[in-house]
Amino acid sequence: MQSKLSDLELIQETLGGNQAAYTELVKRHQRFVFTLALRFAKSREDAEEIAQDCFIKAFRSLASFQGQSKFSTWLYSIVYTTAMTFLRKKRLDTDSIDDENTYIQVENQTSAFDVNNAENRSRSFYLNQAIGQLLPDDAAIITLFYKGEQSLEEIGQTMGMEANTVKVKLFRARQRLKEKLERNLKQEAKELI
Amino acid sequence: MNIEERLWNYIDGGCAADEHQAISSMIASDEAVRIKYQELLALNAGLTAIEPDEPSMAFTYNVMEAIRAEQAQKPLKAAINKRIILGIALFFVITITALLVYTFAHIRLAPPDINAAIPSSLKLPQAQNLLTKPVVNGFVFFDVVAALFFFDAWLRRKKKLSSIQ
Repeated sequence: MQSKLSDLELIQETLGGNQAAYTELVKRHQRFVFTLALRFAKSREDAEEIAQDCFIKAFRSLASFQGQSKFSTWLYSIVYTTAMTFLRKKRLDTDSIDDENTYIQVENQTSAFDVNNAENRSRSFYLNQAIGQLLPDDAAIITLFYKGEQSLEEIGQTMGMEANTVKVKLFRARQRLKEKLERNLKQEAKELI
Repeated sequence: MNIEERLWNYIDGGCAADEHQAISSMIASDEAVRIKYQELLALNAGLTAIEPDEPSMAFTYNVMEAIRAEQAQKPLKAAINKRIILGIALFFVITITALLVYTFAHIRLAPPDINAAIPSSLKLPQAQNLLTKPVVNGFVFFDVVAALFFFDAWLRRKKKLSSIQ
């Protein structure tokens, strides 16, 4: 019954002391929050930690949610800032793809591609793999745009940028993604994209 | 703006009507633009089709457990509503004031009746009988335990303060 309620109604119920309503909100948004966290953390364990932290932070400050933007936009901005803080703390490798180590990583993945039967792998697998090789910001923009059902303005709110900046960044992110796909798959990329 | 950027704008539906018309005719007439467009369109479809990742089965449970644990850890001071405390205090203040007013209003200022005697039927308890050895020992034991408890609390508070500083 609760699943029919809107995000705002569930928030009101949660603020009224009904924790089951927040459980419903978590269930509703957990997949995307986790996916977005995974764009920054790279490992599933770290991504789960970030996602869990985000939902706890959101619960704590739920009363301050004004309802002027979508709940998802508000939640994703928490994910973005939490993930950035996580990156700073963990000092994960956020260097550009031009970094030597990343080249090694890409080369290894390409050779893995040669060994395995590429035909058995879906297009989504290669796209996810290429997104994983992007810089966190690029990966986050692509994920927010395609999976988060967020407009350029909403992505701007989430990441603290102007909509026009997001537009330019989205274009560049897609360009880099295409390059990564071509590099990873060489000739097969032509067939896949 | 290069052709790729214009094509992405076209695919995203973010270009104006005249630009939309111009790109449509370019796609129709120019082979290279058409190939590029189809390439980008396929990439766009692929990105749209990607399914979000699924966290572990226990994810929701873990989140709610963490929230419950956090709420349980809240100090009792923060959980008590200050209005209730004020309400109770106000009740006592009003009651005591009313009793005092009532008492003072009914005080007889005449000298007390000196001839008043304690009725013979009233037997006052002998305080000497109450202060037996076990009672005194119990009282001392309670005092020692209470003193130790407060001393421990004081040491803990002191340790906590020094760790914060």
